Formats: sequence, C-alpha cells, structure tokens
Amino acid sequence: MGLVGMATGKVLSSFSVFLFLTILLLAVARRVSTSVLLFSLQSAVITAEVFATGFQERLAGAYVVAALVFLIKVVAIPRAFFLLSRRLKTSNDVKASTTPTQSVFIAAAMIYLSYAAVHSYGQAVHVPDDALAAAVALILTGAFLMVSRKKALMQILGLLVLENGIFLAALITTFGMPLVIEIGIFFDILMGLLLMGIFTFRIRDTFEHLDVSKLRRLRG
Amino acid sequence: MKIAMNILQALILILGAPLVGGIIARIKARLQKRQGASIWRPYSGLVKLLRKEDLVPPTSSAVFRLAPILLFGTTASVAAFVPVLQPTALLASWGDFFLLVYLLALGRFFLSLGALDGGSSFGGMGASREALVSSLAEAPFLLGLVAVAILASRADIAGIVGWTLQQNVFNISAVHILAFISLSMVILAETGRMPVDNPATHLELTMIHEGMVLEYSGPSLALIEWASAIKLHAMLALLIALFAPWGMTPAGLGWGAAVALLLYGAKVAILMVLLGVVESAVAKLRMYLVPEFLGVASAVSALAVIFTMLAKR
Repeated sequence: MGLVGMATGKVLSSFSVFLFLTILLLAVARRVSTSVLLFSLQSAVITAEVFATGFQERLAGAYVVAALVFLIKVVAIPRAFFLLSRRLKTSNDVKASTTPTQSVFIAAAMIYLSYAAVHSYGQAVHVPDDALAAAVALILTGAFLMVSRKKALMQILGLLVLENGIFLAALITTFGMPLVIEIGIFFDILMGLLLMGIFTFRIRDTFEHLDVSKLRRLRG
Repeated sequence: MKIAMNILQALILILGAPLVGGIIARIKARLQKRQGASIWRPYSGLVKLLRKEDLVPPTSSAVFRLAPILLFGTTASVAAFVPVLQPTALLASWGDFFLLVYLLALGRFFLSLGALDGGSSFGGMGASREALVSSLAEAPFLLGLVAVAILASRADIAGIVGWTLQQNVFNISAVHILAFISLSMVILAETGRMPVDNPATHLELTMIHEGMVLEYSGPSLALIEWASAIKLHAMLALLIALFAPWGMTPAGLGWGAAVALLLYGAKVAILMVLLGVVESAVAKLRMYLVPEFLGVASAVSALAVIFTMLAKR
C-alpha cells in the first residue's frame, strides 16, 4: 500500500504539470503526426489520473474507465489517425495560421487565464486548483487548435483535446460519471471520429485538399 | 578544506571540459554507426594548437589578440561559479546568477568583436548571427533562472542549490519542469549545439560559432576552443546543480566527495547521451526559425515565472 499510495498521491499532485506540457507542445507542433502522438501522451496522463483517483477513492468502476480510456484514446484513436492520414495521402503539415511563437504565447496565456478562472470556484468546492485549471486549459486549447489550424484533421484533433478537458473536469469535480454514461460517451467519440473521418474523405474528394480556409464556395 | 574542494570543482569543470566534448563526439559517432575518434582527442588537439604559431591578419588591431584571452577568462570565471561536488563554489559569494549570465555575454561580446576585427566576411556574418542568437537567448536564460531563484528566494547560485538540496526528490513542481525545459533549450542555443548551430561543420551558409573563429589559429584558437568546451561543461553542470543536485556533500574532501564525484559523473553522462541523441535526431533549424525556437523557450520560461506566483509549493 505504502509505495502505491505514495505513487498515486504523486500522480494526483503533479499530473497537471505534464498536461500543461502537452498543451505547450501541441501549440508548437508543426506536424500532424507529432500532434497525434502528443494527444496520445496526454490521454496516457489522463489514464494515470483516472487510475489514481480510482485507487484513492476505492472505486472499482474507475479501473474499467481507465482501461477504456487507455484502449480508445491512447491506442485506438491515434492508430485511426495514422491510418486516416496515410489513406488521405496529404502532407504532414498542420497549416497553422499563427507562428509557433505566437501559439505558445497564446497557450501560456490560456493556462494563466484558466488558473484565474477556476481560482474562486476551486476553493469553494475543495478540488485542487491545478487539476481544474488543467481541465479548463485543455478545453481552451482544444478550441484554439480548432480555430487556428487549417487542416481538417487538426480540427478533429482539437475536438478530441477539448473532449479530454471535459472528461478531466468531470473526473476531478465528481470522481467521474456513472460507468454507463462513460461508456456512452466513448461510443459517441468513436462514432464522431468515424463520421468526421468519412467527412474528411469527402472534403478531399470534392476539393482535392484538406484546407478548411479555402472551403468558400459550393461544389456539386 | 572548503577552499580545496572549491578549487577541485573549478578544476573539474575547466580541465574536464575537453573530455566532455570528446565523449559527446564519440556518442554521436556511435549513434551514426561510425567508429569515432578517441575521447581524448580534444586534449591532443589543444596541445597541437598551443604549440603552433599564432597568425594574425595584417589589418587587425589589438582587439583581435585580446578577444580569446578575455573569452577564456570570463568563461573560466563562470565555471568557478557553478557548484559541482558541494553546494558552494569558488566565487559563490562574489555574485549572483545575473553576473553569471552577463559574464557569458561579455565573453561572447569580445569574441564577436574579435571576429569582426579579423576582417573576413565570414567572421562578420558569424558575429552578426551570434549577436542575434545571444540577444534572443538572454531573456529566457534570465527568466528561467529567475523562476528558480524566486522559489528558493535566493539570488546566488550556491544558495539556490543549497535550498534545492533540502527539498524532497519526488516533490517536483511545475516551475522546475518548465524552467528546466526552457534552460535546456537556451543552453543548446548558447553553446552552439545542434538545432541552432552545427558544431561539426564549416558550411558557409549555416555556421555561427565556426564562422567567428575562422581567422584564428594556434594558441588563440586553442583558447577559444577550450573556452567553448568549458562553457558547455559549465552549462551542463549548472543544469545538474539547479535541478538535480542530490548527492552533493557539504562534508569536504573524503568518501562523501568521492561519491558526489561518481554521482556527478553519472548525471553528466546521462545529459551527454541525451545531447548526443538530440543532436543525431534533430535537423538544424533554418536561421529564420531560430527566433521561433527561442521564442518558445521565452514563453515557457515566462510561464515558469508566472507559476511561481500560482503554485506556492
């Protein structure tokens, strides 16, 4: 117990640092494949967090959720992404509309903003500031990735990062949702990814590129 | 006793520096499936250069001759600021980390002057690039050190190291991780390593440091090469001292010092392998991407400073 308990305590107190790191790295990543790997890493951190919460609060259901997060977000979705980008035969560039320096400053500002936003709330409901701020920062970064990257694949990834943030917020404020709902959400993500994957194929077939900033006119 | 240890520390940093360079070159060679030169080769290179004649361009002034000496002097005094085996250093009570940063800057300033004075076009090009890189690297370097200093509420490096030694090994804070990342990026730029400058090439379009030393020969070149080796070693030792000083002993000469030396060797070895892997895996950045690289370092270090206020841990 002693060692495992200490390790879970450490995971809970320091995981948000690693989430902030993935956020900053996502802001500077220039390739789609790097971004997908970073998303996978981020989900791995969240898996550890779910596991540690389950251990500390003695929730058996949390282990199932942790296994699901690992299987779907760390393994399945990144693989699906790599498959998708191989099939689409597009360049690996994320087509950012901001330079990496601007992006990383914006990401840093958003991290600061999320700290400022959750400060009073975190004290009222007794959850650690860092964790809640990480969740809000993930939501903001996901939205930022969606608006600032022109490649359609990166918008899917932005949505997934955003979803990670919502999942994390649910986890630290209420120790996770009921298992059935959790499974439903994962099913939702998979369906969403499938639909968006099909949609990117349609965009590519119709316009012969994946740059969403150029989707100005209709084509029959 | 303390003085003896302090002198030993400075000597390790100064005399061990060519060895560090040689080992890194060897690691890189092995990673690239080459045999590689002996790890002692930088020493024989220095000896060879010291025995040669010092050729000076006819158009140059005294600055050209003075620059290598000043560079070596400032870099060696930087080395005397960095704790290695015990949480203090030879010049520890003489100044804080600001002095360390600007001693490095002073050395670079004189090297750039010397390169301009040499009169070749490559020297001027290298000097202007060095000025760009160092002016951009200065902010993240200072901010990263400031963040750690705020945590320790000390300004002298030895004090910061002493504070870190009293902390729990597992108690990592966001500030330390962010500051470590930004300082490692800065050190890559400062010492002219791979993503910013390629230390192994004389290609006109890319060189920064090599461009500046092109006109130097003989003992002057030896001093410059040695100084840049000391700089790399001292920066690695600074990273270790600030972020992983555990194992340092305040006890003075003896078994504790031997253990500290072994641990220091192991930590430097880890950093050297990391550096070798990074240098083999990463392509050199285009000159116009270097400001972005250092901009990222600035943002990370600014975030580290902000976190010192947010996370009181």
